Order: sequence, then C-alpha cells, then structure tokens
Amino acid sequence: MMRAHRLQAVELSALRENELVPLLNDLDSLDLHQFSYVSIHAPSEFSAAQEPTIRDLLKGQLRRGWPIVMHPDTIHDFELWRDFGPLLAIENMDKRKPTGRTAHQLASIFEKLPNASLCFDIGHARQVDPTMTEAYLILRRFGGRLRQVHVSEVNTRSKHDVLSYSSILAFQEVADLIPLPVPLILETPLTESQMQIEIEKVGSALPVEQNVAVA
Amino acid sequence: MSPFDNPSSSVSRLEASLPCDWQNIRAAKSLAEAKRTELRNALTGLDSEDTSIVVSGSLARDEFTKGSDIDWSLLVDGSADPKHHDLRRKIGELIRPLMTKPPGREGTFAATVFSHDLVHEIGGENDTNQNTTRRLLLLLESRAVGRDDAYRRVTRHILSRYLQEDRGLWRSSRYHVPRFLQNDFARYWRTITVDFAYKIRDRAGQGWAIRNMKLRMSRKLIYVSGLLACFCCHFKFAGDPQVFTDPGRNKEVAEYLQELFDMTSLEIVAHVLVDMPHLAGAARKIFDSYDGFLGIIADEDKRKRLEELKEEEAEKDGVYQEVREYSHVFMSGLLEFFFDIESGMNELTKNYGVF
Repeated sequence: MMRAHRLQAVELSALRENELVPLLNDLDSLDLHQFSYVSIHAPSEFSAAQEPTIRDLLKGQLRRGWPIVMHPDTIHDFELWRDFGPLLAIENMDKRKPTGRTAHQLASIFEKLPNASLCFDIGHARQVDPTMTEAYLILRRFGGRLRQVHVSEVNTRSKHDVLSYSSILAFQEVADLIPLPVPLILETPLTESQMQIEIEKVGSALPVEQNVAVA
Repeated sequence: MSPFDNPSSSVSRLEASLPCDWQNIRAAKSLAEAKRTELRNALTGLDSEDTSIVVSGSLARDEFTKGSDIDWSLLVDGSADPKHHDLRRKIGELIRPLMTKPPGREGTFAATVFSHDLVHEIGGENDTNQNTTRRLLLLLESRAVGRDDAYRRVTRHILSRYLQEDRGLWRSSRYHVPRFLQNDFARYWRTITVDFAYKIRDRAGQGWAIRNMKLRMSRKLIYVSGLLACFCCHFKFAGDPQVFTDPGRNKEVAEYLQELFDMTSLEIVAHVLVDMPHLAGAARKIFDSYDGFLGIIADEDKRKRLEELKEEEAEKDGVYQEVREYSHVFMSGLLEFFFDIESGMNELTKNYGVF
C-alpha cells in the first residue's frame, strides 16, 4: 500500500512492549529500500525493571542510524538513555499524560537528555491547546531538535483520527515552523482507499515536498 | 517565610522599593494560599484533563479574609457527560463545609460552565450578562484548583479570539493595544457599575455599603488590571513591533497576555509600577489605600458594620467614612498613574480609556 503512494518515510512501531523483540528480529528481513527515512517507535509503557533490557535492545539498533521515538513519561531513569544522543527522539504527549505536553515540560526533559531530538506530534499539541500556541512554543523553542513529525487528528478520546477541516486550519498556523524536508509520519489507521485522500489533506496542512515522506 | 519573600512577586518588590508595609495584603495572600491548599486537598481526584475546578473572587485575587465567600465553578472543556452534574454536586458537597457563607444569588458560581459559550459568544444577544461575567472573570480573577488543562485551553481560546479578531492590532500603527479585549473589559466594568444600582434596588438597599466599597476598590482594581494588561502589550513590544506584523509571531502576544493574566490584579499593577520609580507617590496611594481597605474587610466587626449599614446612616458612620477615604486615595493614585505623561500612560488612557 505504501509503495503505491511512493512514500519515503516509515516509522516501525513497537508500542506494546511484547512487540519489540519480534520487530527487532525481523528488521533485517524487511524490504525497506524505498524509504529514505526509517525510525523505530519504542514501547509506550514498561516497568523500571524492564527498562535496562529495552534500552539494550534499542541501543543495539543505533548502528542503523534510525531515530528511536520515545514517550518521555515511559522513562524511569534518564541516565540510561543519555548516550543515545540525537538518535533518541522525544515525543510531545497528549493531554492524558502527566508530563511532556507543553514546551515548559519538555524543557525539563531536554535538560536531562541534552542531545535528544524532538518527534513533534502536531495532533497531540493541538489536543493540548487547540489555539496552537503550545505548538508554536514547542517549535519555536525546540525546532532545532526537530527530527520528525507525527500527523493525525487526536480526538477527545485521545485516539488517532483522520484530519478534519478544523485540524487542517490549525496545523496551517504553525506550518511555517516545520522546515522541509522533515519527515511526516501519518499515524491515523487508514484503509487503502483513504490513503490518498489523507495524504492530500496532510499536503494542504503542512509543507510536503513532492515525493516525500508520509507514512 | 512570608509569601512576599518570593522574588517573583512584583508587589513584594514594590513594597520593598518604596518602602512600605502592606501587612493586610500579605495576610490576605497568605490566607488565600492556605484556603486554596485546603480546597485542593479536599477536591483531589475530582478534576480531569477535560474539567477544571475554578475559583474566582477574593480567593483567586489573593485577597481572602475570614468573611470571604468561595466562588467556584466546574469548567468543562470536552465531551458532554451526564455525570458532570453529579460531579458538580460532589464538589459542592465537599466545598460547603469550607465556606463561611453561600455563593452569590445570581447563579454565576457553584455552577457547571461549558467552554463553548465562553469562547464563541463574545458580543451579540447570546452573550448574556452571566456569560460575559464568567468569561472576563476567567481572564481577570480566576485560578484552577488542581488540574488546569481545561482552564488553560479555555483561557487561551478566549484570548486567541480577542486577539485574532482585532483587526487594528495587527496593522502597523502608533499604539499596539488589543482594543477588542480592552473594550470588553470596559463594557464589563460599566456593566458591574450599572448592576450595582440594579442590585441595590432589587434588594431594597440591603448590603449597600459593602457593595459600594467593593465597587470602588476591588471591582475597580480588576478593571484597572485588565486595562493595564492591554496597555502592557504596547509597552512590552515597543522595541519589537514586528511581532504585530509578522503573522508567524502573533502567538507571542497571546502568550504574553496569558502570563500577565496568570498574575493577580495587584501583581499586574505592581508589575508596571515597579519599573516606574517616578510614580512612587501614586504607587503608595494605590497600595496603601488598598491595604487599608483589606484591613477593614478582614476586621469582622467592621465588615459586619458595612454589611448592615443603611444608606442614610453612612454620612455619620466612622467605618464607612474610613473606607470611603481609602477609596478616594485609591482613585487619586490611579488618576496619577493612568494620566502620567512621562511614561506615556496618559496617551494610552486618552486614546483607549476615554473614547
């Protein structure tokens, strides 16, 4: 499905802890040659006891040069992740999460991970503050760290949804702060028939180069 | 540690720089902080990312005294849920033992307030007196007790509407004052003054003196702080006017105003005056008189006297005359401040505060 749309970026997701090992085991056999950008989404929940193992598993993948996307609220011991450097991409969170939602909260996380980069989730930022002021503050303050953007509408139940007219208008307000060619990762679950429409909607909301980077 | 030892408190800095001793302001702030902590502890776990418990009035302004009431509301910014009704009742049950008297009669407080009318109904027939009051109090004198997610979203939305739809603000001009917002503050202030007359008539003069003094002091103060916050936009960005002409930067103005409205009214006034040492005399008048006013409100006997005083007895009443004198000094200080030539306040006041 992704080949048909000539997409150039992909995020390989292991949001559940038990998905991580199978994903990593399959990496060498995946046909990813069409993608110029690949990232891995780390599990969104694990215990402090599991953290060193998960960290070691992901550290073993750094040789690939693929960013590892992390939810900051999952981290128990920031020291364990510091040496990932810019290949650790901290994601701003949705309104359910206790931290990592605002520029102010992200600042304290980047103090602990000074070289980490940013996975900017524009849907989360809009859910936290639909005026997009918080999105603006995050991008203005941490735009230099921007590695990739998660794109979707995050609805009131914090679920990913297709972009609405309102969300497109909101995203346009900060589009100028997202430089090309930052990869845009589309997080909405889509059927094949919805894919092209959604890509066009993303293109009307955010800067998308021809042939680039929605996955 | 005194709450005013906080170096970020402009009131504290102003008090030290003059120097003055505003013990009643300090005591009221201390009491407000203690009461909010009490509320926060009592209400733990009842709020969420979509609901904030918001307090207004003296409790939000850091002017709480033993006789103060607790004005609160449940602010909802999310999906409609029949359980919000139960939630409001539960909050009411938990707050009631902490109150010395019931909330006001108008139904503005102790109610569930939905964000949509606050954000969408600015002006027009659907912007009722109650809606205007709730919206502007949210900006001028409110705080979330506990989770503030919904509260922050709604206040940002409201500010965003006032700013984005202010055509004049984003054009290059001599002054950069958000006139749409400032006009609504002015409208609200005049509404309060008209409603004062209405309430006196409606209640056959009951509570006339205390209402009169609150109007002259605390109600006037919140208008002053709103007007001043609007003027601050001009002063703040005087050296950086591109913020108004670069569409990519207009959220900086909203963020700045949000920071101002996170302060109490007294803090906003002190925030400006502390950087205007030539207005020390005006600052003394404003804050000394306000401190005196709070001292009277905090004195149970004097407050009771004002609550029960009949209009025809006022001329010969010592307590009334004392607080009335404070209100005259307060007004005199405000006039010196707002019509000061050196700071340019007079030009802003003439252009925005008069016509």
